[in-house]
Amino acid sequence: MAELASIGSYEKKDTGAQPSSRLFWRIGYHTRINLWGLAFVLPTLIFFVVFKYGPMLWAIALSFDSYDMISAPRFVGLDNYRALLSDPIFRETLVNTLVYIGGSTLLLTVSGLGLALAVNTGIPGARHCMTAMFLTNLMPIIAVCLVWRLLLHPYGVVNQILQPFGVGRIDWLTNSATAMPAIIMVTVWRFAPYFMVVFLAALLALPDDYYEAAELDGAGPVRRFIHITLPLLMPTIFFVVVVSALLSARIFLMPYLITGGGPGNATRVLSMLIYETGFSYFKMGQAAAISVVLFAIMLFFTSLQMRLFSRSERIYL
Amino acid sequence: MTSLVAAAPRRPSHHRQVLRLRKAVGLVLLATLAFGFIIPILWMTVMSFQAGEKMFQLRTEWIPSVWHFENYPNALSRAAFAQYFLNSGVVSLAVMIGNVVFCTLAGYGLAKFRFPGSSIVLLLILSTLMLPLEVTLVPTFLVIHKFEWINTYQGIVAPLLIDAFGVFLMRQSMISIPKDYIEAARIDGAGELRILLQIIVPQCWPALSVLAIFSFRDSWDQYLWPLTVVSVDGLRTFPLGLVQFGEDYGNPPTEQMVIAVLATIPVFLLFAILQRSINRGFGLSGLK
Repeated sequence: MAELASIGSYEKKDTGAQPSSRLFWRIGYHTRINLWGLAFVLPTLIFFVVFKYGPMLWAIALSFDSYDMISAPRFVGLDNYRALLSDPIFRETLVNTLVYIGGSTLLLTVSGLGLALAVNTGIPGARHCMTAMFLTNLMPIIAVCLVWRLLLHPYGVVNQILQPFGVGRIDWLTNSATAMPAIIMVTVWRFAPYFMVVFLAALLALPDDYYEAAELDGAGPVRRFIHITLPLLMPTIFFVVVVSALLSARIFLMPYLITGGGPGNATRVLSMLIYETGFSYFKMGQAAAISVVLFAIMLFFTSLQMRLFSRSERIYL
Repeated sequence: MTSLVAAAPRRPSHHRQVLRLRKAVGLVLLATLAFGFIIPILWMTVMSFQAGEKMFQLRTEWIPSVWHFENYPNALSRAAFAQYFLNSGVVSLAVMIGNVVFCTLAGYGLAKFRFPGSSIVLLLILSTLMLPLEVTLVPTFLVIHKFEWINTYQGIVAPLLIDAFGVFLMRQSMISIPKDYIEAARIDGAGELRILLQIIVPQCWPALSVLAIFSFRDSWDQYLWPLTVVSVDGLRTFPLGLVQFGEDYGNPPTEQMVIAVLATIPVFLLFAILQRSINRGFGLSGLK
């Protein structure tokens, strides 16, 4: 009886309440539930508008201005872009960035897949080897840079290890021919174990029956790899290519700390140029123009990404 | 006849021996590879105990003849590294919590609800992967400047607070959870937030662990953004302090390695705590 009474009083309170909540109840059960979904997404959406899309639009607008943060922005049309085109340092930096993206994307994909295949051979203890390799991916990037700067010193460990193989002393970081390959090598060391994990997850998810059938038909390991593993892994390979390209496009700290962009400008990349132009020379408009160029590069890879995601629902971090 | 009988059991054991040998060779090769990968980590650790003057000669004593434990207090006393580590800790914990909370909310909203424009929202969030801080550095700085957050914790944390990758990771880990659980809870009168916390989140620990460690690592070793937004010594994160320390003292390698080791420990520790869960988060539970 007491229960009934409480229900009654509850109902009375509800029906006598604000008309706005009545409207809320009238819009239908499913719509109401789905509005909760919007509510969950809203903070993230607002965040991205304020800290991603807003700034990007601002960068595009700013790239037509001359702005030093002291006097008001002044519209200069395409001058910033014209200045970039005629700037040999910018052109060199752009080429460096593309070379770096190309080199590290290729090597990261190949070595990531290679490592994953090596770990996925059913060898006991493979899991521990994988964990050990993955540690390189967890080291703070600043520690990575400082350690490798010393390892790649002319008298450093890399040259000591290469010495028995008859390789002479290489000035890795001060020679313009080896500086970029050295940075790419460090990148591979740092990130390949991560892509190994991505590939490994994909390999473990492959169905066994194809392999059993192929083995019964007498296909060797190489043919099984080419005709079964590779085609099934195509979406993952595509994913890794895009992600490692996006990752390398934004590289900053490695060249900044390991070589300082040198020798000359041999390892200077666009993100370094953005920082220097904006915050050392306070040419905000010019820096924004370089940002737009870097954005265009990333847009290219992201559009590839879009095609990937429309095709497959799987995603890895 | 007798030879045949005797030969029959020997063949499989011979085969097994070959198999075992192949596995042993494989293990040795794989272990060598893994060892090659962690040489720089070992080198860093060993060097942090090395005598300073030996380091300048870059002679690597793989097992130091004298372990210089005093390198650690020495390095820490040269600059305000306690403060720098504290700043980094505050920033990366805030970023980690922000990512875990908001990516879970947004991931759930995108995985289990169909509101008007939900596919466009998904696309918008995914597209921010091409807008990392390196690209939007200048205007993001101007935004933070407008908010008057230069040289504040919130200024360092704000642009890092949510990452699109995290949203997707959470969405993908929730998308396969059967809708029946959610419907049943709704019929029982559970609120939407309670459904998320008590039914969805417990099934997402692996993805949450992956998200936690990656967002912690990425903000712990973030360099470019604090460099841009911080100009007072008291707010420097440890990467800034470490580079400044190198510039002030002519890059003393031993002491830089000390700080590098100390900086690596928290990430490794977090990984050790979450490791089992992280492996499942990556889908590696089937690995031997």
